[in-house]
Amino acid sequence: MTTPDDSDGQSLLGHVLLPVAHEEDALATARALEPYDPERVTALHVVEKGEGVPDKTPVEQSEELAAQSYAAVRTVFPDADEHTAYARDVVGAIFDAADEVDASAVAYRSRGGNRLMQFLSGDISLRLATTAPLPVIALPQGDDGE
Amino acid sequence: MSDEELAKDLGLVSAMTIGIGTMIGAGIFVLPGVAVNADGGAGPIVVVSFVVGGVIAMVNALSVSELGTAMPKAGGGYYYINKSLGPMFGSIAGMGDWMGLAFASAFYCIGFGQYLAVFVGLPTVPGLNAIQVGALVAGAVFIGVNYVGAKETGGVQTVIVTLLLSILAVFSVAGFFSFDYATLAGNEGGLAPGGYGAILPGTALVFVSFLGYAKIATVAEELKNPGRNLPIAIIGSVGIVTVIYAVLVTTMLGVVPWPELSQDAPVAQAARVAFPESIGPVTGVAAGAAAVMTVGALLATASSANASILASARINFAMGRDKIVTNWLNEIHPNYATPYRSILVTGGLIVVFIALLGQDIEILSKAASVLHLIVYALMNVGLIVFREADTPEYDPDFTVPFYPITPILGALLSLGLVAFMDGIEIALSGAFVVAAVAWYFLYARDKTDQQGVLSEFIRSRESDLPDQVVDAADAVAPTGAGNDEPTIMVAVSNPRTESALITLAGAIAQHEGGRVLATHIVTVPDQTSLEKAAENRTGLDQSSEELLSAAASDAEAFDVPIETKTILSHRGIEEVFDAARTNDADTVVMGYGGTRFAGGRVEGSLDELTHDLPCDFLVLDGQRLDLSDVLVPTAGGPSSDLSAEVALALRETAGVDVSLLYVVDEGDEASGREFLAGWADGHGLGDADLRIETGGVEETIGRVGEGYDLVIVGATERGLLSRIVRGSLAFETIENLDTPVLLSERPSARSLWQRLFGGR
Repeated sequence: MTTPDDSDGQSLLGHVLLPVAHEEDALATARALEPYDPERVTALHVVEKGEGVPDKTPVEQSEELAAQSYAAVRTVFPDADEHTAYARDVVGAIFDAADEVDASAVAYRSRGGNRLMQFLSGDISLRLATTAPLPVIALPQGDDGE
Repeated sequence: MSDEELAKDLGLVSAMTIGIGTMIGAGIFVLPGVAVNADGGAGPIVVVSFVVGGVIAMVNALSVSELGTAMPKAGGGYYYINKSLGPMFGSIAGMGDWMGLAFASAFYCIGFGQYLAVFVGLPTVPGLNAIQVGALVAGAVFIGVNYVGAKETGGVQTVIVTLLLSILAVFSVAGFFSFDYATLAGNEGGLAPGGYGAILPGTALVFVSFLGYAKIATVAEELKNPGRNLPIAIIGSVGIVTVIYAVLVTTMLGVVPWPELSQDAPVAQAARVAFPESIGPVTGVAAGAAAVMTVGALLATASSANASILASARINFAMGRDKIVTNWLNEIHPNYATPYRSILVTGGLIVVFIALLGQDIEILSKAASVLHLIVYALMNVGLIVFREADTPEYDPDFTVPFYPITPILGALLSLGLVAFMDGIEIALSGAFVVAAVAWYFLYARDKTDQQGVLSEFIRSRESDLPDQVVDAADAVAPTGAGNDEPTIMVAVSNPRTESALITLAGAIAQHEGGRVLATHIVTVPDQTSLEKAAENRTGLDQSSEELLSAAASDAEAFDVPIETKTILSHRGIEEVFDAARTNDADTVVMGYGGTRFAGGRVEGSLDELTHDLPCDFLVLDGQRLDLSDVLVPTAGGPSSDLSAEVALALRETAGVDVSLLYVVDEGDEASGREFLAGWADGHGLGDADLRIETGGVEETIGRVGEGYDLVIVGATERGLLSRIVRGSLAFETIENLDTPVLLSERPSARSLWQRLFGGR
């Protein structure tokens, strides 16, 4: 077993995958990550697919949303990469993307909502935390930015 | 796999499920009882009414398939009509589709309420009957589910449809064994107690059962292999559903004598009779079967309503994209990622329709049909317009058989069926059409920039067509500006010319209140893949970055936003055209040297390319600009309009003196002066210095131009640029003049490509 601080290992914030849902969320998430000064950031937007049924939103609209989110992340991290995934299973897609871009950690900000709503939308936070194959960082809420 | 491929995840079965699931709903579960008893009793002939409905749906399904494979875009019918017939008819179609779906959803909810009432006692509220109360509860649940976008509903849809088809199959088999021809035909009046004249009014009533196949087209962009799957799914689902309806209704009427058929829950009633009271030791089979049918009816109506609410959000999105409605409606919910406002507004309409019109299910179902039929009719006309206008971009994978008979028949059948509706639904639908037209003129006309192929077609044949037709096309044409802020794209390639090009672009952008987009197009040899080039771009990046940051700092002199972009490409000048299109540029500014980088390579497509410019082009021959006066030689025409605009921009931003030159033959000086003065006035250059010279045009321009800092020459004919690029035009004015020359070429009309797909 190696520890994350091993010089030959990747540092925790070496390459952070930042899942973002929409412009506002992207900005808040990026700001929450900013103080920790990650080396490299890749913004991820998962377009929720129906896989067998029509999506909640037209593809074109989803992609617009993704583009706006990336732009928001870049206002904080100008060099951030972007990655768009299409999947019904959002959490699975986040981990697949982490693998694909070779991220050192996933940093996310819970979008709140009460238990019922979290349950209905699949409780992403819980599944992120419990099924993670790589470090998952829960960013502070920091409602009013810094 | 490209992103586009990844977004496609609906297979053929899923697509069929959408169509069948939406169509099989309240129509078949509720209306047979109403239809057989309509107008004093239409009787078993309503089976034919259902089949006729299926035929009408099938003709339209063919047209929808062609349009859907040509344009797999969110929005379906609205989108095709807006593209072909223009935004006024687009508004009618969008509104018609939207309201039609709201009426249909209200109808499904009422159907749900009727079957719910079989199970539970529903309370009545003053003004609302028990069924309406049930319908309102159901409606609220459907809207809530869509608002939250609970994914789980999606997976259930396939299960529901499978279950539904199994239940109906079992019912048909059981019905077959208890089927009695005497029950079907032995009632007073035989098979057609109301005469054959009852067939079409019956079709008008039950046509709502066929609404749904077009929904497949609204999600065409999510289909795998849409060219094949879309037509199969649309045509297949109409075919399957028609057969199912014919079998079901015949079975029902062979089990229960039609005068006794329930007007609320006929399928449950028929099941109770069709199944034996007991099978062996098991008793209560009939009651159980009736209960299962009731559950089936609830599932069917729920899935229809669900799909319709979702489809209406797609239509709202498509209308918002074309600025026919405000995009406020299409805002996505931050937590649920659903178009929640659109769903709430549609939901509100559904609730209102249930509450106000829910007492009479016929009004809801027929209003839904009338509005959809209007859309279908327009869609068929749109198809004919696409075909006749011979739009090159219109390239459907599936084409309707027997063109033009099929679309003509589709339009006639659709409108013909409307005639069999009652006055109240026609009036109601008419009111929505009027409201849509009013909406277009009062709101959308200033906002949208979409022009239909039809008006393009009419205007391009202005001289062949009666004035009234052309005037009519102009009268309804959109007045919205294409882009809020024009984009001036600069193709920089050389550090020595960069500053001059940016100066020109900056002046124009400032004058027009637009923005500058500086692009550096890096040509990569064909042998090197673009990915490889991107990897090894460190050296490249540096030069590109230097060039573009110099451009950015030069643009600071002007009060305009600037963006920069490096584009790797295997192609040279063609990429400039591509970049102009994809970035929605209104003007391209490039260097004369830049046009030469395609030099030597004679590309077959180049001629065509430059012959059909995507936007205004300005080509500068010269390296430095130090402007105090410019000369604009003119002979009229679109390109010299562009020259005038550039001169105006330079005068406004850099304070240069503008001189206009008109070269005439000896003796024509007086009329020449008159022409030039008029031209100058018409272009806001009335106070410019006017020069009338005689002699050869090129030679005169060369001679007079010597005394100026810049000569702006408008192309006198189309394709000038292409000839410069290929070097076949010996443009001596340029070659020999020391003064920098700016060539301007404006496309004589916005190209069709741009009208169809550009200018979003």
